[in-house]
Order: sequence, then structure tokens, then C-alpha cells
Amino acid sequence: MKKGIRVLLARLGLDAHWRGSIVVAHALRDAGMEVIYIGNQMPKEIVETAIQEDVDIIGLSSLSGNHMILAPEVVKILREKGMRETPVVLGGTVPPDDIPRLKEAGIVGVFGPGSSLKEIIQFISGAKGT
Amino acid sequence: MRPKRNLFNTESIDKIRKKGEKWQRQVYPTEKQRQEVFETLSGIPIEPIYSPTHLAEMDYLRDLGFPGEEPFVRGVHPTMYRGRTWTHRQLAGFGPPEETNKRYKFLLKQGATGINGVFDYPTLRGYDSTDPEAYADVGRGGVAIDTVEDMRILFDGIPLDHVSSSLVTCQPIGNISVQSMYFANAQAQEIPFSELRGTSQNDFLMETAVAIAPEVFPPRASFKFSCDAIEYCTKHVPRWNPVSFAGYNYREAGCTAIQEVAFVIANAIACSEELIRRGLNVDRFAPRLSFFFSGHSDFFEEIAKYRAARRIWYRMMKERFGAKDPRSLALRFHVQTAGVALTAQQPLNNIARAAYHALSAVLGGAQSVHIDAYDEALCTPTELSSLTALRTQQILQLETRVTHTIDPLGGSYFIESLTNQLEEKIVALLNEIEAMGGIVKSVEKGWIHKEISSAAYECQKAIESGEMPIVGVNCYKIEDEKLPVELFRVPETLEVQRAKLEKIKKERNSTNVQKALDTILHCCEKDGNLMEVVVEAVKAHVTEGEVTKMLKRFYGTWNPPLF
Repeated sequence: MKKGIRVLLARLGLDAHWRGSIVVAHALRDAGMEVIYIGNQMPKEIVETAIQEDVDIIGLSSLSGNHMILAPEVVKILREKGMRETPVVLGGTVPPDDIPRLKEAGIVGVFGPGSSLKEIIQFISGAKGT
Repeated sequence: MRPKRNLFNTESIDKIRKKGEKWQRQVYPTEKQRQEVFETLSGIPIEPIYSPTHLAEMDYLRDLGFPGEEPFVRGVHPTMYRGRTWTHRQLAGFGPPEETNKRYKFLLKQGATGINGVFDYPTLRGYDSTDPEAYADVGRGGVAIDTVEDMRILFDGIPLDHVSSSLVTCQPIGNISVQSMYFANAQAQEIPFSELRGTSQNDFLMETAVAIAPEVFPPRASFKFSCDAIEYCTKHVPRWNPVSFAGYNYREAGCTAIQEVAFVIANAIACSEELIRRGLNVDRFAPRLSFFFSGHSDFFEEIAKYRAARRIWYRMMKERFGAKDPRSLALRFHVQTAGVALTAQQPLNNIARAAYHALSAVLGGAQSVHIDAYDEALCTPTELSSLTALRTQQILQLETRVTHTIDPLGGSYFIESLTNQLEEKIVALLNEIEAMGGIVKSVEKGWIHKEISSAAYECQKAIESGEMPIVGVNCYKIEDEKLPVELFRVPETLEVQRAKLEKIKKERNSTNVQKALDTILHCCEKDGNLMEVVVEAVKAHVTEGEVTKMLKRFYGTWNPPLF
């Protein structure tokens, strides 16, 4: 397990579900990562915090269905700000049909319902700096 | 106090105990158990067999009684489902009100007996569809409502004096505007408030602990909004249930059955104390306090949970608050089958899951039930999945005959023993909250957030270790599964809402709007009842977002200690 990976976790937009992202936050912390959990934010604020905190990876959570609009926006703003290397992953109720379009938009990992913490931890450990 | 009368005589109990112990020592171990430990979903150990020895202390009349009578464990109505069956209240809401109105009418035409309206994320959180935070969530998870005109469209052609409406407003901030719009719309149609029947969710834990979105109001402010709505309805809308303590959502966030009941009752205690402080007699408001529970996977524990909740509530209202009206003492509740128990994998399996969940709710004496649609782990329900859920209710009611006798599992050694154990654990947790200074304090301190998130984390670990089997997720998986269901896509909402908002803002009387907003601020300053002024404000076409901004200006926001 890699140590010291700094992960920013945010919930997108007005989505009120926190269970998934908090469970992931606990699991990442127990796996030795540093978790910066900022709750709900809009894409611009997420990117600003990511830059300020100099994180290695950004994890987004959405169960409201807003992911097709807001997740690609995070990647777009991130790239505009010059953070070309920082990977972005997404978890939540993402219908499988949406995954190819999210990948195309630059989301490197998508974790739908039923994903295990183990696979999320492994993915983040591997995705850092890719 | 009358002398305690046990259900069984001491001599019989002794004989049964001796025989039972011998059986457990000599007969039971002759075969191997398939696992070492058996326990309920909330962690109560389950024994191989239950017998009268488990109920040796039980006094039938004191602990169970008869339906419609104290302590209401066997049911809140004398006839229960032999008289009227539970309300089939299927949740519906998406897109603009024009679209949801069609779904309401479809469900009513198909035999739904009440409306269960859910609102989109911006509406729940007090935003207008056109606010800069809202664009990605408009029309999602529920219907978009910005002004009283949207409310008129939502209920167009539905007789508000005949159909009861549950408004799933979730949080007091969303509730204060949405409920006001519902009442104002009724008034515009000249339907007197006394004819309105329905329920609002209006639970401050939804805002501050369970479902959190940006710019949360401080717990005390949110709690005040909730109590304002209860007080307002008690005085003006007597047949309306102004709060539905949302244990369902606490459970969805991670709570166990024990926490679910303890937290709703702690919340109801706090509201009751506040309303009494405001000068209301307990029997004026308590008959209209209602509860909302989750129908989860542990079949027997859920049945026992509902029965235990009724006994705890009865004792609490009687002993602590001195309530006398039987309707104050009887805990009435709606059940939704557990959304978190649904799987995105092999989604048609969810039809079977939700049917078991609903059966436990009915065996537990629910007043109203929503059955989740099979596609809810993936999207907003389609017309087909909503209809299948409604038909599942109708099959349960009409074909299974579980409705023919009241509390059919009452007297089961196991169910009664589990009811007693749950009661004991829930009361212990209630005492812990009490010692902390009550539910509002427990939120301010972040204690409740920690309780819920730890339970959620433990649950996920149990799923991953395989200790908690979930068919299709950690066993009986299908690799590269092709989804057998059609997914719902939310219709265009933002532009529809924007057009209406622009038109209303252009046409409304801006002096009246300003006056209404000033009145709201003034009401905040003198700590008046906000419902009184918001009902008037929405009549002047003040938008939900404008109401919220005014309240935020006065009460500020709070950062919930989630992690």
C-alpha cells in the first residue's frame, strides 16, 4: 500500500447523499492516505481547493444524477488551470451507459453501486500520478 | 399499580426451562450449525429456539394489550387491516411539475390511494432552479418547485380536499416554502385549511445530519423552522401531519434499526418539549406527529422494531408528557422499503427484495407503505417499474390474506422476545442522548454524525468480508451482466422553470414582494413563527430561493462535522 497519497473528496452540486463518500473517506484514511473531505462544492471550488491543497487525486461523489454535467466540468476546469496530471475519479449511482462518455471526458475511474472499497483503494493507489 | 401478572405460571416455566436446557445441551449439538454466530442486522444475538421461558416476565395486558388500546403494541386501530388497509403511497417526482402531475394522475388511476410527492435537490435545499448552484440538479430526484404557480401546476386536476398528499420536503428549510405553497394553492382554490389532509417531512436531522448539502442552517435554526411548521399546522391546518420524523433516511445514511428508532423518538421528544414551551398542550399537537421508518432486510427484526417503537412512544407520551388523548399515545408510521438494500446488479431481483421488506412492514402494522421500484439503484423509476411496485402492494393486500387477522405474529416467542430486547436497547440509547443534553446538542457536537457514519462503515466492511451476503453483489454474481431494464432519463427542466420564473418576476407586484421579504426578516428578528409570514409571502409570488436567502441572512450557515 502506498503511503501519503493526498486525496480530495467532494460531493457534486446539491446532492445530499453522504454515506458513500464518507465510507470511502474512512477506508482511504485507514489505508494510510491523507483525505481532505470538503463536502458539497461546485466544480470551480473543487478545483480551487485541489490546487490549494496540492492533492494527488480528486474523488467525486454523486447520487443525484448530476454527474454527467458536473464531473466533466471538474476535469475541464482542472485542465484549464494547468493541472493536467491530477487524475479524477467518480463514485455513485452512475448508470453503466454513462461510463464510456465519462471516460471520454477524462474521468479515469468510475465506481458505480456495488463497488468495493478494496477496488477503490487499489485504483487510487495505482492512479496517483498516472 | 395493579399487581404484575405473568403470562405463564412459575411451575410451567421451570419445567420448560429445564427441558429446554437439556435439549440445547444434548439434542441440538448432535448436528452442526452452518455458521458460528447468528444475529440480527443490528447485532442482537439470535438463539436457536425461543420458548415461553423468554417471556417469563411478560404481562399480557401491560405489555401487549389489544389493538387500538394501550400500549398499542398490537396495532394503533381497533380493526387494523380488517377495517381499512394501509395507504398505497408510491413516491413520485421528477422534472418540471407539468411532468410529475402526469405521473401522479397515472398512479391514482392505477389505484394508488395517496400522493407521495418528492422534490428535486434545489427545492429541498431552498434554492430556485435558476440559482447558480442548482443547474445540474434541477428536476433530479424529484420535481422542481420555485413558486406557488408550480404548486398549482403540480396538483392541477387533483382534488386537494379528497386526496391526501405527503410532501417529502425532507428538510425544514425546503418545507417552509413548499408547504406554504401547498396551503396557499389550496386557499386560492377556496379549499378551507380544515379540509386538507396530508403530511410534510420537515425533519431537522435531515438538514443537519442525515442528508447534507451546501450551506446548512445551524441546528438550532433548522429545529426552529421545524417547530414553527408544527405549531402553525396545529393552529390552522388541524388534519395535517406537520412532521414525519424520517427514520427511513437515518437508516439509509447508515443507522441500525436501534439507532433509527432512538433518533426519531429523541427528535420527537425535543419537538414536544419546544411546543409545550411555546404554550401548546401536548394533546393538541401530539396526535399529528407522525413517523417514517425504513423496511430493511432483517425480516423479523423489522417487525419487532415497529412493535417496540409503538410501546416506547406510548410510554414516553404517557409517563413523560402526561398525554391523555389515545391518538397522542399511538405511534403512526409510513414505511418505505430500504433503498440501500437495492442492488444495481441484476435489478429485477429488487422486486423480490422489496416485497419481503413490505411484508414485514405490514406484519408490523404500518399505516402507509411505499415499495421501491426495481430500478432505483440506477435511476428515477420508469412508469413500468413504478407500476410493478404498486402492483406488489396490491398483491400483498389482496392475495396473501396477511391482512385477515391483526398483528399475526404477536405472541410469537421470538418476535415478542426481540421486541423486548429492541425496546431495551433503544431506551438505553435514548438515555444516552438525554444525558448529552438532547438531540439538538448531539447534532451540534457531531456525536450523531459519528454514530451514523461509523455504522455505515461497519456495514460496508461486513458486505466486503462476505459476512453480510448480498445476492448479485458479493455472491451469485453475473460477470459482464447486460442490464435488463430500460433507464429513465429526466426530461428538460431548467429551461421550463426559467421561463416561468422570468414571467412571474416580470408580472408580480414588486412592492408587495419587497414588503413580504421585509416581513420575513422582521419575523426572524422578533423570533416569530415563520410559517405565518412565509404563507403570505408565497401568495405574493415570492420564490423559494428568495425566502431562503432572507433566512440565511439572519441565521447564517453551519459546517456539519461529518469527517
